[in-house]
Amino acid sequence: MNILKRHTTAPTSIAPLVVFRVLFGFIMLVSTVRFALKGWIYELYIRPEYFFSYYGFEWVQPFGALGIYGVFAVIGLSSLAIMLGWRYRWAAVAFFLSFTYVELIDKTHYLNHYYFISLIAFLLIWVPANRSFSLDVLRRPGLQRDKVPAWTVNIFKFQLAVVYFFAGVAKLNPDWLLRAMPMEIWLPAHSNWPVIGSLLTEDITAYLFSWAGAAFDLSIAFLLMYRPTRLPAYAAVIVFHLFTYALFQIGMFPFIMILLTLVFFSSEFHQKILDHARRFGRSIRQIFSEDFEGLRTRTAVTPSKPSTKSNYSMSGWSARIVGGMIGAFVVLQLLMPLRSWLYPGNVLWTEQGFRFSWRVMLVEKAGHAVFHVYDSDSGRQWEAANWRHLTPRQEKMMSMKPDMMLQYAHYLEEVYKEQGKGDVRITADTRVTMNRRKGRPIVDPTVDLTEAERGWHDKKWILPLRSYRSALKSSSLPPPKGEFKATEVKKHPSSEGKRGRTLKAKSEKLSHQVYVPDRLRDKFIPLSEKTRDRILSSKQVKSSIRNSD
Amino acid sequence: MNFTYRSTSLLILVLAVFSWTACDVGESGSDDGPDFDREAMLANFGENIIIPSYDALVDSLNEMATAADNFSADPSTATLQQLQSTLKSSRLAWQRVNLFNFGPASNNLLRTSLNTYPTDTARIEENIDSGDYTLGTVSNQDAVGFPALGYLLHGIGANNQEIVSAYTDDPDASERMQYLEDNVDFIQQKASTVAQEWSADQEDYLTMFLSQDNLGTDAGSSLSMLINAYIQHYERYIRDGKIGIPSGVRSAGVARPQATEAYYAGYSKELALANLQAVQRVFKGITFPDGMNNRGLSDNLEAHDETELVDEIESNMDDAISSVQALNDPLSQQVQNNNDKVQSAFQDLQAVVGPLKTDMTSVLGITITYQDQDGD
Repeated sequence: MNILKRHTTAPTSIAPLVVFRVLFGFIMLVSTVRFALKGWIYELYIRPEYFFSYYGFEWVQPFGALGIYGVFAVIGLSSLAIMLGWRYRWAAVAFFLSFTYVELIDKTHYLNHYYFISLIAFLLIWVPANRSFSLDVLRRPGLQRDKVPAWTVNIFKFQLAVVYFFAGVAKLNPDWLLRAMPMEIWLPAHSNWPVIGSLLTEDITAYLFSWAGAAFDLSIAFLLMYRPTRLPAYAAVIVFHLFTYALFQIGMFPFIMILLTLVFFSSEFHQKILDHARRFGRSIRQIFSEDFEGLRTRTAVTPSKPSTKSNYSMSGWSARIVGGMIGAFVVLQLLMPLRSWLYPGNVLWTEQGFRFSWRVMLVEKAGHAVFHVYDSDSGRQWEAANWRHLTPRQEKMMSMKPDMMLQYAHYLEEVYKEQGKGDVRITADTRVTMNRRKGRPIVDPTVDLTEAERGWHDKKWILPLRSYRSALKSSSLPPPKGEFKATEVKKHPSSEGKRGRTLKAKSEKLSHQVYVPDRLRDKFIPLSEKTRDRILSSKQVKSSIRNSD
Repeated sequence: MNFTYRSTSLLILVLAVFSWTACDVGESGSDDGPDFDREAMLANFGENIIIPSYDALVDSLNEMATAADNFSADPSTATLQQLQSTLKSSRLAWQRVNLFNFGPASNNLLRTSLNTYPTDTARIEENIDSGDYTLGTVSNQDAVGFPALGYLLHGIGANNQEIVSAYTDDPDASERMQYLEDNVDFIQQKASTVAQEWSADQEDYLTMFLSQDNLGTDAGSSLSMLINAYIQHYERYIRDGKIGIPSGVRSAGVARPQATEAYYAGYSKELALANLQAVQRVFKGITFPDGMNNRGLSDNLEAHDETELVDEIESNMDDAISSVQALNDPLSQQVQNNNDKVQSAFQDLQAVVGPLKTDMTSVLGITITYQDQDGD
């Protein structure tokens, strides 16, 4: 009980919380300015004609160019206000809402670190991070507090620990540990670097990075919590994140983590930072002493002035509500990353339960998706021009993520409906490669995606990574009203010999499963037969030889 | 106690970070697997394929300019035929460079300037009428380049006799001749600018292309730019532009004969074929013009032990080439009379995209970066 109390309600120095607030506001301001300067506000939120919404958040849409620029202005200004501690609660609320709103517009741009920022912003709303070293205190010295309940600092340590630990757990998979994937693909990108370049192409380097990365993620939060290991652990944080910054294109995330993990340091450490900052500020003010005479006398006394009430505490009801909410938050954070276990198959492949789970830099995927459209009213068949509807980035992400393929198919259905076409049938021919496996279909090419539904349920039309053949057998094919069309399996040079023959026999058997409804046969067969042929022979038969894992 | 603990963990950390730096310094040049030299592959692309191809285009355009002068000095069916044939060889030469739309070509908007089709004939006639135009503006994009020349040399009369008379007897004959010559100049100037920027005696993009800084495979590296341009060209401008769009796969199954490349000249299929062969040559690393099999993308993949993937890509490319070969010019008529063959050629072209865009890029560690963004 005492230990629990010590980490939650017992008073502790406000200094770590204050430093955390200032650094967070600062790095968010920098990130926002960088984002705007890169022209991404236009590219990501104004240019696209369609946005991939999150399930349940379809109502989050950008409201025009002016609106979205306005929202980004709010993000920038509220991060400045958080940094300075000006009207802090309002600023934290404004930042959380505007930032999260932008992130919810389009899942194409989902990044774990954006999610992390939203969570931190949410937590900042509930903590008194403005009760020292802030414009709010300058304005109303009565707000000054020296002590806050321990949970207001520890909740951020918890959040950081969750990020690292689950990122580490996610790395405990065969690809990462036994094949050094995707490090082995990514590291050689910089083989032209002087001195270390040639090392980056060595297999051993990829394994070292993989194992060291996993060990780092799993242990770092605990090493930061434990005083004797804290300093070397923080050095490791810096080295690790600078490496990731140099090697991979991951934007501001390394710097955000380097700054925010300072929260693990002691109160005395943070007090020293604040004292230094105050001294620095004072010496600056002395240079302009005449202009700032009034300000100087007023603030110079702030740190030494004894507050009437130095401990921050909440009254009964609000303490209970906030406490309950933070408790729920903690439980949710511990469960969310585990939800992928509720789905069958490899989460890295199906991506069911992939997001919001700290699966960071885990997988190298590339894909290509072709959407066949069949209009039964006119009997016409065509293919969607993805590049006409999506930005290059959207198309790239959609081409490897089944949930986005489904959304896109639904969007296409709508587009064609607006063009006055009838009830179209849309199927997807996909080819996705993951961690250097041979490309293979990720979506059942026979399933009409306009009939498939979004939601939390397991999507039967996603083909598993491991066994494509058994998947086709058990896949939810429509009831066999039409005729089964047996397709001939192209013989491939590699399917010689005994193993080749059995595989061929198997795929011939499964080819009888390819079902073509009567009404589609005239128009649909000539093309789809060919496509299916290709899937069955060149992709599947060959790839199953290679990927015996 | 505390001190020793701290220094021990620091030592472990330092060892962990530097152990890989120390393991075998001194061995270098082994880029992808034991036998592959990426720099040599890029040099082969730059020196033996890209630059000679641009030079050939410029030579061909010079010949076209001479032919245009002759036609202008003495308009006759003979000089017209001469000019038509130089136009065709220039368009064929263009098919060997259009897949390198990065660096100088993309900075100079070469593709949109030279080959935006279908051409806007109304706009062309308007320009000729008014005599007041600047070629190279965005609004004139549809009224310049090869497609405009195709219209001016093939599309304004039922036969060559009639076409010649448009430049001799029509009221706006001299203005039309002027527009023709301006267009020839415009194309020539655009292409030679790009060729010069690549060449070693001028802006020397080649040196940058082969510089140490750009030898990686990260976004912005030479190989990444080349492959991104290569795949985008294949997807958008060959599969879709040359075959898919005319056949109607992008317009709800309704064929669009006017959307063929070289609609008026009528050799769309020949151009598509030339372009596909250029794509194949880059994959195999075959030099131009002497046709030596040097280092190419296939060799890079083989150095990664991806022989099977190379086989798949090459056999799909062969299929695509032979089914385009099976089409008939003029393609604009084929899409109306026997579109099934065109659509099946489209499918064969499409079969190449998957392994190129997913497997090949993944094996080579290239990211498709048509658009810049952070990852995590």
